[in-house]
Formats: sequence, structure tokens, C-alpha cells
Amino acid sequence: MTQTKPRIVAIDDEAEFIQMLQEYFEPRGYELHVAVRGARGIELVKEKKPDVLLMDLKMPGIDGDEVWKLLQSMSPPPKVIFVTAYDDGGKTKARLLKMGAYACLDKPISSLKDLEGLINKAFTS
Amino acid sequence: MWLNVFGVGSICIVISSILMGITVFAKSQDKKLGNVWGFFCIAVTLFGIGTFMVSIIPASSYSNALFWWQVAYQGAIFSVVFFSHYVINYLKLDKKIFIRSIYFMAFVFSFFNWYKNSEYLIGNMYFVFGQFYCPDWIKYKNPIWLVMYITFFIFLLGYTFWLLLRSYLSSPSADRNQLKYFMLGSVFGWVGAHADFLICFRVPLYPFLHFCVAFYTIIFTYAIVRYQLMAIEVIVRKTLVFAGLLASVFAMLILPTLILQEYIFRSAGAGGKIVGFVISGIIIILTMHRIESFLINVTDKYLFQKKYDYKALLRTFTNEVLTVLELDKLVNLTVDKLSDIIKLNSAAVLLFNEEEQQFEVAAQRNVKDPDVKLIRPDGIVTFMEATQGYLLVKELIARKISIPAAIREIIDKLSAELVIPMVMHEKLIGILSLGKKKSDEDYSEDDLDILLPLARTLAIAISNAQLFDELGKTQADAAQKDKMAVIGTLSAGINHEICNPLGIARGQCEAFLLNLKDGLYKSKTNEELLTKAREIMAKVIHETDRATAITKKLSQFAKPSKGDLEWVNVEKEVDDVLGLVGYELKLEKIEFEKHISTTLPQIFVDRKQLQEVLFNLVRNAGQAIGEKGKVIITAKEERNKVIIDIKDTGSGIPPDKVKELFNPFFTTKEPGKGTGLGLFIVSRVVERNGGRIYLKETKVGEGTTFTLEFPVASKSEVTQAEKS
Repeated sequence: MTQTKPRIVAIDDEAEFIQMLQEYFEPRGYELHVAVRGARGIELVKEKKPDVLLMDLKMPGIDGDEVWKLLQSMSPPPKVIFVTAYDDGGKTKARLLKMGAYACLDKPISSLKDLEGLINKAFTS
Repeated sequence: MWLNVFGVGSICIVISSILMGITVFAKSQDKKLGNVWGFFCIAVTLFGIGTFMVSIIPASSYSNALFWWQVAYQGAIFSVVFFSHYVINYLKLDKKIFIRSIYFMAFVFSFFNWYKNSEYLIGNMYFVFGQFYCPDWIKYKNPIWLVMYITFFIFLLGYTFWLLLRSYLSSPSADRNQLKYFMLGSVFGWVGAHADFLICFRVPLYPFLHFCVAFYTIIFTYAIVRYQLMAIEVIVRKTLVFAGLLASVFAMLILPTLILQEYIFRSAGAGGKIVGFVISGIIIILTMHRIESFLINVTDKYLFQKKYDYKALLRTFTNEVLTVLELDKLVNLTVDKLSDIIKLNSAAVLLFNEEEQQFEVAAQRNVKDPDVKLIRPDGIVTFMEATQGYLLVKELIARKISIPAAIREIIDKLSAELVIPMVMHEKLIGILSLGKKKSDEDYSEDDLDILLPLARTLAIAISNAQLFDELGKTQADAAQKDKMAVIGTLSAGINHEICNPLGIARGQCEAFLLNLKDGLYKSKTNEELLTKAREIMAKVIHETDRATAITKKLSQFAKPSKGDLEWVNVEKEVDDVLGLVGYELKLEKIEFEKHISTTLPQIFVDRKQLQEVLFNLVRNAGQAIGEKGKVIITAKEERNKVIIDIKDTGSGIPPDKVKELFNPFFTTKEPGKGTGLGLFIVSRVVERNGGRIYLKETKVGEGTTFTLEFPVASKSEVTQAEKS
């Protein structure tokens, strides 16, 4: 482990959300790569091989869960944390966790500090 | 001894007076009053018998003629007295001394009529027109005769007619018809009687008017049948009247042929008689059918006109009124049709208002005070509840039942003549108030026989309409609940749309604060930090606005409809509905297309309810698609209707389910996902707005199209709706 901080890729169609993540993580020394569409996100993940993938679920084009399915073949696959405002009574969440997602967070996230903690936890686990 | 015209007139007088007298004696409800008229008839009969005998007595029998004139005069003298007596009693005038004195005078004149062979009354007679004897006053001036003539036939009759006229002018209209016909008949009769006196003054006029004395009874009979003159109620059967008319017409027809036989063919002997019969027979055969159909027409149209109208009344009510389920329309139609068919001056339907616990006018025509309210202590309500019987003003007056001032006031405000309760299961649900007839005729037994059952049937129809109205309200409630349930299912899309901006706003603020706290902005100048903070605040405002917008749309949609109709632009409503359901569609990657003609006319509906309908249909379309597909809304005008198609590229509806689509509680969704009220409620809401919904086409695996149709509201309809 040469790196002390995880490399992160964030995919979310809300540009403002992405920008907010950059605002927080970049000054703290995280390597953060961002995409606003699933297709571009897949390329980015394949290229950057991040430790942790922050991903929205419902996006124009390819949805988050499909992006992840396409990335399953990667070795090792990144740890995936879904951050979404989509709520269907926890059904999708349960499905994603069953598929091996590391965590599912609801928007609005309770605190950026908690998110940072969760990313680090995922990275070290 | 030959029968002359004077004699025929006398026979008519005798027959009509006897019939009239029998009728009055037998049928009159007020015996005391009726008897006076009965005696009048006897007096007239006596006059008729006397004049008939006079008419057949030849010039050779002077003393016989004198005797029969004495009989006739006896009748004439008393007929005047009985007539005056009757009128005074009928008008309920207090003139006992007057009556006694005219009877006294009648006896005085009667005395002179018989005293010394009527030397002072009839005096001497002369033979007139070569037919009969007649008193001759010009040649033999008898003082008593002139006094009798002037006091009885001029003053007493004149005074009696003046009493009648005065009463007619001041009486309430209920009795006017009776008085009118009574006067008409009396004038007719007395003019005829007076004509008989002309020859006494040597006026060479043959007493043709003698017939008038007989025919006043025809006018009286008409008044009895139609207006219960002298409180005589006669139930006349149509067949009886018809037979009578037919017989009299035939009599008139046969009479000339018989006369022809007598005068023309008599000389021809038996053979001539046969020829006469043949001619009569031919005339009868040729004319019978025409006379019959003419009489049927006349009796139906004039004498039995009322029953004619009843048929129309019953037909109209069973076909057009009682089937109406909208309460408002039902009561208004009731008032309109009753007024038109029975030709009423005014009419009203009052219904019970549960909230206010009072009866209020629900529909009316020409009522004096339509705001009249009837509460229980008002008397009418208590009366109707207790008796469940009707209230006929004229009947109360006739029975001398005093009407309390409070009831009188309500009757006046309602312009009512007949008030009928509408009872359902022993409960008074409404009151039918009918004004006077335009013809001024009174309500008869026949009227009541029709109107009372009609009111009972109306009660059933009204109570049905009330239940239907309540059902409509229940359905509106269900629609509202359904809408809330729909909003629940929308939460995914709406949550997404609200939580995203909130997450961004929160994150932006938190990142800035944490960066500041962790000393990450140490290298930045105050100026730079301020700019940063300004940027973040602008973003926060933008994102909160975004979240607010959708909550506003949501709360507007959730508000229940007020039930007001208004001009609605279909395209705008489609856009509004998409503003809500669109997020959901977007999440599921459902595309949306809209083809709405720019010239599409507006429709006149409840805007909220139209939104509900569109919302349900678009959401159903989205759910039928699941993920990835297209919803297409097309709206165009066709045959004066606005037609809106909602088409989806979803799973389609299996053929066995198509029939059940609009049934309540039908659903294909998994338990918990839908209450099933969706399309059922949608269809009821559409119908309430004057529209129609149907499944245009569906194919499993390809999609479904539902069609909505609304009439293009005409200007007049709109103004009428706006007024109400």
C-alpha cells in the first residue's frame, strides 16, 4: 500500500453534485475522477482503475446498476458505493447490496465527513 | 188541435225542468239550498205545462185556455220568487224579511190569479197567430197584472241580477266560474220568459224565445259538470255523453224526415210511408259514420279535454321526467312540464335540506317568493307529515275551515292553490306546490286522481336522484383518495427530484464549512473566500428553488376539486400533469410525445378533475411500459368533440381482461400496488364532466390507447353553467 488515500471515480448526472464532491475531496488529497454519464464513467473506471466508485443509480443513458454489471468482469472490481435519491422502498437497495455493492447512501447524504469515512473504510477493507 | 212551435217550446221547458229538478233534489250536497232550486224547477215545470196546454187549446175553448194560463201564471209568479230566494241564499245574504215579503206578495198575486176567474190579473185574452190565447193588456188594462209584472219581472229580477253581478265582481276567483255560468244561464232563461210577455202588449212577435226558457238548463248542466255548480258533482262517463249526443243528433236528423213523411208522402198512403223510411234510412246510413267520428272528436277535444291532457302528462312524466337522475334537472323538468301541460300560473318543488332542517324551493316558476323556507312549526309541514294528505285551498274555503295566518302566508308566498306532499317510506321528502290553473278552472277529483299518484312516483324519482347525487360525492371522495394513493406511488420520481437539489445544497455548504475548519482555505485571501461563499449561496438558492417548484406542483395537484366548471385548455393541463408525472417517466427512461392541434377548442370542465383523469391515464401508461418506451398524447377536434388519445408502447391488455377494465376494484397490478379504483373512478369523473372514455385499441406486447371525448362547449351552455 503505497497510497494512503483511495483513488476515487464518481459518476453522477448532477454536475453540481460532482462539483461539490471535487470541492471537498480534492483539497484533502484524494485523486478524484468524475463523469456525468454512465458510458463515459465505464471508460474512466477502466482507465483509472479506482479503489472506490461513487455512483448515482438513475441517470440518462445507462443506469448505475447496469454500469456496475458491466464492470463486474474487472479484476479486482472497485468497491462501489451507490449514492442516490431514488427510493422505491428499499427494494433496489437490497438488490444492489445482494449483488455485492459496498454501501447504498441516500441523497441528501447526511454528511460529507461520513461519506469520507465510508470511502476510507471501503478502501481498507 | 195541432202542435205548434209555442207548444214544442213548452214541452222542452217541461222536460228540461223536470230533469233539472230531479238532479238537484237527488245530488245537491247542500240540501236546504238545493231544495229551493228544486222548487224553482217545479214552478218552471208548472209554467211549461200551462203554456203547453194553452198552445193546443183551440179558439173555441176560451175558459179552458184561461185555466191553463192561470196554471202557467202560478208557475211564473213562484219561479221568480224561488229564483230570488235561491240567489240570496246562494250568496249567503241575510235578507229574511225581504224573502218573506216577496213570498207574501207571491201569495197576493196568486190570490188574484184565481180570484174571480183572474179578472184582476189575467183579465181578458185574445187569440194570437191563429194558434193560442194570450192575455191582452193593451185592450183590457188589469192593474194587478201590471203591478205583478213590474214588481216581479222587472224590479225583483233586476235586483236579483244586480246581487249576482255585485257578488261576481267582488268574489274570489274560485267561485267566479260558477257565478259566471249561473248568471249566463239565468239571463238566457229570463230573456225567454220575458219574450212571452211581449204579445200581452200586442207586440206581434211570435214567442220563439220561449225555447230559451228550456235551454238555460243546458248551460246549467255544463256548469254543473265542469264547475260543480250548486255543489253538484256529476261523474260523467264519456260513453254516456257520447251516446246522448249521438241520439240527439239522430233525433234532429230523423225529425225532418218524419216531417217529410207526414207532409209530402202522407197522401201517397202506405207506399209513400215506405219511400219516406227509405229516404230516412239512406240519410242515416250516409251520415252516420261522419257524425260518429265528428262526435268522438268533439267529446274528446272539448268535453274530455282534461283527460286528454292527463295522457300527455303521464306520457311526459314516464318518458322524460321520472327517468332523470340529476336532481336539479329532475325538479326543474317537473315544474316546467307540470306548468306547461296542466297550464298552471305557478308551480314549485320544495325539498328537505338536511343541514338546515327545513324545506326549500328547489325549482319554481312564477312563485311570489322563491326564498320561502318551511320549517316544522310552520304548520304545512306538520300537516303533511301527520296526514300525508294534500291541501287544496279552495276546498278549505268551501268547507269553511279557517286557514291559520302562518299557513296563509306560506301559501301566498308559494302562489299555491294545491299543495301535495311527496312521501317516500312514510317520510316527507318534498312538497309539490301548484298554483291556480291559467283557465281559472278548479282542481277536480280527476286532477287529484292523477296528481296524487304522480307526486308519490316523483318522490321515488327524487329520492333516487338524491342517492345518485350522494353516490357522486362518494365517488369524488374515492377519486381524491385515489389521487393521494397515486401521489404515494409517485414518490420515487418526486423524491428524486426533491432530494437531489437538497443534497447538493447541503453538500456545498458542508464542504465550504469543513474546508474552512480544516484550514484548507488558508492560502486564500478574504476576497477569494467571499467570492467562493457567494458562488455557493447562489447555488443553494438555485437548488432550493428547484425543490420548491416540485412541492408546489404537488400540493396544487393534491388539493381537492371545488367542483367548478371552467374553460380549460387541454394542452396546458397536459403540460401541468407532465410536470409531475414527467420525473417518473424520465427515471424509467420513458419518452413523451405530445401532438396537440394549436386550434384545439377549449373544453368546459372541472379543471382539477381533468388533471386527475390525465394524470391517472399517463401514469397507467407509464406503468404499462415499465421501463423504456413512449407515451404519446394526441388531441384533436372531430365532429364538435375534443378527442384526446393517450397511447403507450407498453405491455397491452390481455383480451380476457378488456371487459373488466372499467369495473370497480379491477386491477392487474400485484397486491398492494393498486387499489383498482383507477379506471373506474376515471370513467365516472369523465362522465360527470360530460365526457366519455373508452379503450381505443390494445395489443399484448405492443401497447394500449385510451381515448377521452369531451363535447366542445357551446357559448350558451357556458353562460348557463356560469350563471348556476
